Parts: sequence; structure tokens; C-alpha cells
Amino acid sequence: MATLQSLPVFDENGKIKERPMSVLWRSLEERIRGGADRAALAAEFAPGAAELPEANDGTSRRSFVQLMGASAALAGLAACVRKPREQMLGYTRQPEGVVPGKALHYSTATFLGGRATGLIATSYEGRPTKLDGNPQHPSSLGGTGALDQGSLLQLYDPQRANTLKYKGQDRAFHAFLVEQLAHSATLKANGGETLRFLMEPSTSPTLSALRERLRTDFPKAKFASYSSLSAEGWHEASEAAFGAQAEARLDLRDADIIVSLDSDFLAGLPGTLTHQLAFANRRDPKAGEMNRLYVVEPGMSPTGGMADHRLAARPSEMTAIALGLLGRVARFSKAADLARFAGLNSTLSAPQAKFLDVLAADLVRAAGKSIVMVGDRQPAAVQLAAIAINTALGNTGKTVRYNKSILLDPNDGPKGLAELVAEIKAGKVDTLVITANNPVYSAPAELEFGKLLKTVPNAIYLGYYDDETAACANWFVPLAHDLESWGDGLAVDGTATFQQPLISPLFNGVTAAELLASLVGEGDHGSYALVRGAWDARATALGLGDAIPASKWEQWISDGFAAGTAHEDVLSANWEQLAKSIPANAPAAVSGVEGYFATDYKLWDGRFGNNVWLQELPDPVTKITWENAALISPATAKKLSLAQNDVIDIKAGERSVRAAVFIQPGQSQDTVQLALGYGRTGAGEQIALEKGFNAGAIRTSTNFWSAGTVEIFPVPGTPHKFAQTQEHSNMDEGIKRSIALSATREEVESNKLEEVNENRGEQASLYEPVKYDGYKWSMAIDLSRCTGCSACMTACQAENNIPVVGKEQVARAREMHWLRLDRYYVGSEDAPEMIHQPVMCQQCENAPCEYVCPVNATSHTDEGLNDMVYNRCVGTRYCANNCPYKVRRFNFFSYTSDYSDVEKMVMNPDVTVRARGVMEKCTYCVQRIERARIETRVAGTEIKDGDVHTACQDACPSKAIVFGSLHDSQSAVSLLMKNPRRYDLLHDLNTRPRTVYLARVKNPNKELA
Amino acid sequence: MNALFKPWSNTLARLSLAAVALGAVGTLGGMMLYVRSPLFTQVGDPIEQPVQFDHRHHVAEVGIDCRYCHTQVEKAASAGYPPTAICMNCHEQIWNKSPKLAPVREAFFSNTPIQWEKVYKLPHYVFFNHSIHVAKGVGCATCHGRVDTMAAVEKYSSLTMGWCLECHRNPENYLRPKEEVFNLKWESPKTKDAAVKELMSHGIAKDAADAQQKLALNSDPKIAFGLALKDVNGVHTRQSCSTCHR
Repeated sequence: MATLQSLPVFDENGKIKERPMSVLWRSLEERIRGGADRAALAAEFAPGAAELPEANDGTSRRSFVQLMGASAALAGLAACVRKPREQMLGYTRQPEGVVPGKALHYSTATFLGGRATGLIATSYEGRPTKLDGNPQHPSSLGGTGALDQGSLLQLYDPQRANTLKYKGQDRAFHAFLVEQLAHSATLKANGGETLRFLMEPSTSPTLSALRERLRTDFPKAKFASYSSLSAEGWHEASEAAFGAQAEARLDLRDADIIVSLDSDFLAGLPGTLTHQLAFANRRDPKAGEMNRLYVVEPGMSPTGGMADHRLAARPSEMTAIALGLLGRVARFSKAADLARFAGLNSTLSAPQAKFLDVLAADLVRAAGKSIVMVGDRQPAAVQLAAIAINTALGNTGKTVRYNKSILLDPNDGPKGLAELVAEIKAGKVDTLVITANNPVYSAPAELEFGKLLKTVPNAIYLGYYDDETAACANWFVPLAHDLESWGDGLAVDGTATFQQPLISPLFNGVTAAELLASLVGEGDHGSYALVRGAWDARATALGLGDAIPASKWEQWISDGFAAGTAHEDVLSANWEQLAKSIPANAPAAVSGVEGYFATDYKLWDGRFGNNVWLQELPDPVTKITWENAALISPATAKKLSLAQNDVIDIKAGERSVRAAVFIQPGQSQDTVQLALGYGRTGAGEQIALEKGFNAGAIRTSTNFWSAGTVEIFPVPGTPHKFAQTQEHSNMDEGIKRSIALSATREEVESNKLEEVNENRGEQASLYEPVKYDGYKWSMAIDLSRCTGCSACMTACQAENNIPVVGKEQVARAREMHWLRLDRYYVGSEDAPEMIHQPVMCQQCENAPCEYVCPVNATSHTDEGLNDMVYNRCVGTRYCANNCPYKVRRFNFFSYTSDYSDVEKMVMNPDVTVRARGVMEKCTYCVQRIERARIETRVAGTEIKDGDVHTACQDACPSKAIVFGSLHDSQSAVSLLMKNPRRYDLLHDLNTRPRTVYLARVKNPNKELA
Repeated sequence: MNALFKPWSNTLARLSLAAVALGAVGTLGGMMLYVRSPLFTQVGDPIEQPVQFDHRHHVAEVGIDCRYCHTQVEKAASAGYPPTAICMNCHEQIWNKSPKLAPVREAFFSNTPIQWEKVYKLPHYVFFNHSIHVAKGVGCATCHGRVDTMAAVEKYSSLTMGWCLECHRNPENYLRPKEEVFNLKWESPKTKDAAVKELMSHGIAKDAADAQQKLALNSDPKIAFGLALKDVNGVHTRQSCSTCHR
């Protein structure tokens, strides 16, 4: 294949104009191939995409065509059959407010890590089909993360456990209640001495009230919480600094200088949605002063990708870096409180020292308007250094407030679990109630929790699936989904939040509150009575009389939260204690290769393992789907003679785990990053089963986040195959093009945006431009705001009934996501910058796909949308070939025909479910446009700016996506069109896309240039 | 030796060729005709329902408005068919012992839905919305016919795409004043005088001169009347694919 060249552009003097071009790369393979070989990437389809599903079953393309010819001929006859009759089954008594076919919206919440995220659920005839952030709720401000979006699918998972079991035998819930009530009498006799609880971290006032009652009935019973993602170092540090378990409440709105020491606050994970928005609001120099983000982290993260300056550091170097930073801030700021740390000087490399010099100076300059935030996996010394810096610089009370923890068991780390294990070993536990998520899988390996759990006679596990823990506990109680039950909890700022059910339990699930209530004889009261009862009991304390007034309660449930219940319980750091606890010297860095663990962006602690939306979502950084990998830096891989896809054994002490190598640019040297949550073995989770590897196998209580030195042994044999999307949908077709653009703050301020300017504006055309009267739909995506968190991808999947295809199909580039998040690197392999770009159908005014469709299945509307008519499509795939943005997706199979009835319930009734052989793509959520059009026209009005939101726009926590009509010159999207950072993707093709991008702005510090 | 092929063989060969060609065209054409014929579209087939509900009695004799049962026709995509409770509003009081209504009572008291047979069925990739059509002056009878004369409801329109587009291309042929949407007996004025009267009686024209002016767009009074309504009802029919296919 000939090498493609872009056409030259001539300037006014007839000379070839040099076009400015930023050099982006997507993967190491692409970077190494470079030059002319890049043409291989320009193939029409990714290798394998045009092949038959099972290439080795002996079916040839020829025989396939023969068979298909015959089927096509017969299929024609099928149209001659009279349509079968269908019945309509209506309501007997139609519930008030329900209009069949019209969505209703209810506020509710999900809880991850114990804290509430306020949500609005969309429901059709009692069937929730979409979740969005509650714009009024302080935890979300309207945004959602990919996990929040994905939790909807969990509701309809046909593999959910649906029966209560005792030693594998089905039991009725009532039988369980009777048995537990009888047993609780014996427990009462010994004061609950043999009763233990292992709880999911929670802030629920209802659970709190129930625990009080249990404490009265069983004074010697003990409660502990466990989360495998617990911030171990923070627990130790907050005890030392504040003498109590604290939590840091962050407010990035006024933070000019943000330092993240391994804090991944832009990844859309629970609790970070508001930070993402506050950060994004300060990323446009024309809209106000820009903030600056410094990130020090061991592996590449979305936060690291957004950094103005990023330093990759090994986990064991982090303490030295934090102490070095503290020492520098002490010397530069001359704050009296910090004087005692002025002598701190840890051993650092020259680049690290320089980075810290500049960073410390910036921090001090912005005292009171800066923040040092620390990730959950950092040890106490790093956490303490940050507390000292934030307190001394006067950031506390402004950008950060240290509050008393609102969790019922503030320390949810392995310590409590270890104590419990010791008691089980000593035979002191007779009844163990577990509401923690799958602790047998996620407990540190040396505790052998599963083995011990089998010895507890009355072990009761409340779980969502028949998982690893269910196999070890005598009693198994199915857990209700958040959308199936009443509940409550506190948001990050302490606001009481209510979880309202939208549907009756589909799988006989009960809540943690109902389970605890079973020990006090109220297990059959139902979740509503328990929640309402707990709140009525608090009414007097809230000054609301004997019980919560009905009007107040209804207001709260309708809002989704109780306004005005946010509260502060501020703690201040004790300098004496800080001085005592901050070590003078950092421990020596770990020798050899250092292993450490990471929270997975998709499966979190493993609980979303059976969720196909999240399994197929490409990881924001690696773009790997369906599994995890051992991430190693390019230089380390070379040193260890490892190549991509090699299988290795990672040995830490006596334990070892087998994983596949993925070479990750930007990874710190001599480290291997292992994401938790994969390698599941639960019997009832067929999707999660053995996807990836279980990094927890080499995790211990003492090495909770870092595995210390690990030995790596290559395993000979066939290399592993990742299903990775990073090279799919390649837009540069072997020639270099301007794709994801970025600029510095100076360039934006002085309007020196040469490459951006080259990529917008009218181009010469022989044809009269088409005139659009009325609405002109358009979208603007601000790359300065987009962090790559992928919430939009999952939201799009939920809204548009997009199927998942499985690992084997993803490997053939047949993933169906209408909206993809391209991730590019800029710069060197070891310290690249990263830039994310959401790409969906660009709704070209000169759409290349439309010219080639032989059956007019894709055509233009009078409002400029590029329509896709599924029922017209005959599946030639010419349109996908001709689409330069590679945003069209083809149904190679009937991905939805084998859905069970419960899986079908997630479908959006306003969007066609596509069949095999049909092309599909982003439509700008045309169903939402049409709904708004019909509603406004029935009312005799017009669609106003902001009336129609696309699903991706709704989900985006950073508000990077803006949608609207250009016919209104004052609409948000019209204003962004005129933004100097605006450019068109592949502008040289003159497709006149309606989706435009705004170049990312970086705010680098000149001193680090 | 005799010739292997007799002279008439040529004719036979020609005829066979013609038959093959005609057969192919005929088969295709026949199939296309068939899918458009009432045999396939089931237009005009009275459909037996589990309860012998007679629109003639309820609409023509008793005078119940369409919207009493099809409650959401003005606000949702589907016009809605009545929950059993609506039947029981009256039939708790009258004919409450009639054996013909036994299935209704049984459904109501056992809280199980009556399985009504669907008369109009759209493919899953077509999205039709009643509320907008009703709001713009498309009468019930325009698409559903005179249900007040049907013993058992039958399909009146074929619901083929061509049928939809016919109105979306020429809405003036099918519009009526908004007040007449639910009036099954209303008919379009056939003469200019009738059209003038109609425009004035619905307050669309101030006086006769105004009405004459509004009707000046076309010489055919029926079409001129439709054009005037198109303007006053704010009808902007769309033919973009995503209007119906999403």
C-alpha cells in the first residue's frame, strides 16, 4: 500500500506552507513503527474485523457467502407472512401520575465507600432505565462517574443471587428470621460475647440507630468495617495528627496551586465528582485565573494526564518526596509552625529535587490558596507531611477542612479484620454477620479469611452474588440493589441523603438494615419502616417534634436529601504530635522491582466484576478491556527483557501471582502496578470468573498497598492476548494529522494558537453551502475539562441500548461504543503527557458516509443531523469505510437477541434495539431532541438553550460537553464556537463537522521548562 | 437425419425467455403488491376482542368522548387504552350483572389485565406520537376512520411508510380545526362558501373578507381550507428520517 501524503497547502506567495503539527502517539508499537510503516495502520478495518467470528472452524468466506445467499433469498419470503396478532396488557388500576410511555424521574442515591452520591433515576412504567447525577445534591452537582452509571446494569443482572441459603439449601426469609430470633436469645444470655459484625463502610443514620439498639441488647458484641480500598496510611496519620479518625474535605474552587501526591481525584471515582468540576472550572485562562496541577504518582492516571507537571516516582520514594517537600515549604515559607521541619532533607534525585524546589515555591506563593492532596494508598508519613503543609500555609478552612470522620467505623482497614480473624481462631466467634462486600476475596491473603469463615457456625453473609464469601459462610442472604430498597447515608459534606426504591426487589434481596434488624426481631418490618423509624426517632434531636412531619419527609424524599443537614466537626492538627510522628528520614527505597496495588477504574474493589458495561469499558489509561495487567515502564521492561503480552509470575515473599505484562508509558521505573478486583472465582458470577488475575493473592495486612520488592519470572509459552482498543478507530490513516490539540496558557493569552487556527474556518467549495433554517444542533467538547474518566461512555451505552460484544470481539475491533475516548501521548516514553479526546459521530454537514450509502440509510436532516436509519441499512459497511472519524459501529452479530426478560428491562424504550447486519452510530441522542420538540410544539413554544441534553453531557462531571443549537447566537454552544481555542477535527477534509473541540490548555511553570 | 430442433423450437425458446423474465418481474411485483394489499396490511378486518366492546354504542349512542378512555392521547406518544378501572367507573353501576361484562369484572377483581387484541401495530423501529398530531389538528377519524360506526374495531389505515409520508408531504389535505379533532363526524368543507363559514365559526377568520383572503392560496376549497389551517395550527411536518426512526 502506498504511503499516504497530506496535500500541500500554499501560502499567498505560492510557496508550500509548513503546517504546524503536534506529534501524538497512541501506543508504543505505533511510536516505534513510525514513518512509512504507519500506513499499516491505515487499513480499512483493523486486522480481523472483516474476518468470520471463528476463523479456525473451517468455514471459508466463500461458503459463508453461499449460505448467506440462500438465507437472503428465503428471508425475502418471510416478509410475505401475515404479522402475528399481539395483545396489549394494560393496568387494571393505573397508578396516579403514570403515563405509559412517558418517563418519570425520582431522586435516589448510591453508596460506595459509605458515602452517598445523589442521583436522579429515569423510570418507564416502574422500570428504571437511566441514572444521572442530582444537580442539587452536594456530592454530584449533576455529574456521575462510570461506576454510578454502571450500577444500573447490576440491577438487571440475571446472575444475581436470588435465594436465601443455609449450607447450600434454599430457605425462606421467614425461616431465617425465626431461626435468628431464637438464636439471638442465646446470644443475649452471654451479652453478645460471641457476636461479631463485619460491615460495609457506611454512614447510614438508620444503620447507626440499629447498631445502638444492638449494642444495648448485646453489650459485648463488636463491630468492624472492612474495605479493601481502605486508606490505611490515612487512618494512622489522622490518629497521630488529630487524635481522632478524620477525613479531609476538599474544596478546589479557590485552589490556585494543586499538588496531588498520588491522589487520583480526576478519575470519576466515588467522592471526586465535585472536585472534577471545581478543577475544570479553572482551566480556561480567558474565563478566569487558571489553577496549576502538580502530580507525583507511581503510575499513569487520568489525574496525571491532566497535570501541568507530572513526576513519576516509585511508591517507596513517595515518603522521601513528601518529606523533601515539607522541608522546602518550611524553609521557603518561614512559617513559625513549620520551623521545626526546616532541617528536613531527604535523599532525592536531581530532577526530583528540582521539581520539589519549584513546586514548594509555588505552594508558598499561593499560601491559603493552595492544597496538597494525598492518595489513599500513601503511608502515614506522606499524609502527615500534607497535613502539616496545608495547616501551616493556611489552606485549612479554605481549600481543605479536616473533619471528624462521618463513617460509622472510621477505620475500615485490615486492622479490624485481623482482630476478628484472631478471635475466630481462638473460637470466640459464634455468630458473624457480614455486610462487607466479598471479604473472602478481598481480605489480605495471610489472614486466610475464607478458611476461617467456614469454621464460624452461624456466619451470615449478605451478598449480591453467589461469590467467594457466599461459598464460605453457612448462611447466605441475597442483597437488594440500591434501586430496590429504602436506605440512607451521608454525602461527603454530611448532608443526609435518601435512597428511594424504584422497583420491588427482583431477586428477593434485603438490605443491611433489615439483616441487622433481624437480630432485634424486626427483620420483617421492611426497609421503609426501618428508615422512617430511625428518622422519626431523630426528629426531636432535629427540632422537628415527635416524628418527622409528613410534608418535611416528602420534601426530603423528593429532593433526595435533607437540605441543611451538612455539618462540620472541624479538627485541627496538633503540632507537637505532628512533630513527633513525622519521621526525620524517609525509609530507604525498596530495592529491585517494587510491586504496588491500584484501585481499578471499572471494577473498583471487584464488586462490578459481573457488570458487562464496565468490563467492556476500556480502562482510561491502558485502554484494556475485560481484564487487568501488570503495568511496567518501557525502560524497566527492557531491563527485565520483558515484552508486551509476556506472561510473568510475580513473587512477593512466599506468595505469587501470574499476570500478563503491559508496557505502560509514564510508569515509574522499576515498579509493577497491579489493579485489584480481577481474577474472581465466585461460583455465581460467570462474567467475572477468571477475568484477569487476582493481585490480592500477594497482598498482606502489612503490605496493604505496596507489595514491597517483588521477583519477576517470565513464564515461557504463548503470549497473552489483550483486548485493547487503543489502536482501533485510527483517524490519521498513515499521515500525520492534527487531532487532539493542546496549548499553553501563554499561547492562549497571547492568541498564538497557530495549529488551532489552521484547523477551523470555512474552506473553499464548488458547491453552494446548504442553508439551515431553524435549529442547528451542535456540540462543543472542551479538552481542557475532559479528564478521560469515561463516565460519558457508560452513560451513552445506557441511553442508547448499546450492546457489549465480549473480549474476543473487542480484540477484533468490533466494540460497539458510539462514543469512544481516545487517549494520546505526547513526548517521551518515560515521561509522556497524556491527552484524552472523546470522539463520537461528528455530524458532518458534508458527511462522507452519506455519499456512499447505496440505500440512503444514512442521510441528512433539515437541522444538520446525520441520521442513521437502522431499518433501511443493508449492512454494506461502505459508510464505515468512508468515515474519516471511524465512529460507525457494525452489528456483526445479533448481540441482543439472547437477552433474558430481566436483561431487557434496562432498555431505553425510546431507542430502537438494533439487529444483526446493521450499522449504528451516535445520533446526538436524537430521541431526546424529538421528545423536546414534541413537548414544546404541543405547548406552542420553542426548544430553549439547555432544554435538550445529550446523555454524555449529562453524565460528564467536568461539564466538558456542551450541546445546543447554533440558530440561537447566544446559546452556550454558539458562544463556544467563537472561542479562540475551538477547532474542527480533521478540518482539512472539509467535512464541516457540527461537533467541535476546544484545545486543551496547560499552565506550565516556566521554571520547570 | 431429422433436425434436432424443429422450427417451432425458436418460438419456444423465445417464449421461455419471456416467461422467465416475466415470471421474475411478476413474482417481485406480486410480492410488492401483496404487502400493500389489505390481505397483508389487514385493513378492514374486524378484530375480535376478549370483551365485545362496541364503539357504536359507547361513542355514537352514549356520546362518550374519545379522551374519556384514551386518556393520554393529548400528552403522550401512545393514545393509551383504558385501564380496567375506567370500564368499571360506569359498569359498577350499570349492566353490572351482564354476562358480557363478566371478563371485565373478573379482570378488575383479580387484578389481571384484560388481553386486548392490538389493532394498530407499528414496527419497533418506528416512533409515532399521538400528542403532536392531535395538537396540530389531525383528527382521530383521519387515521382511525369512523370507529363510531364499527361494531368491532378494524384497521382503517395501512400504516405503510408511504401512507405516513403522503400526509407529511401534503398535510393540507388532512387537517381540521383543532376543535374538531375529536369530532368523528366532521367533514372538510366541499365548497368555498362552506369553507368561509367554517373558518369564521372556528374564529380562524374575523369576517368573510378575511376568510376569502385566507382561502386565496388554492382554487380547490378543500385544499385552500387545509392550507389556512396549516398556517393557523402551526403545522411544520418533517420528513427527516429521525422524525420517526431513532
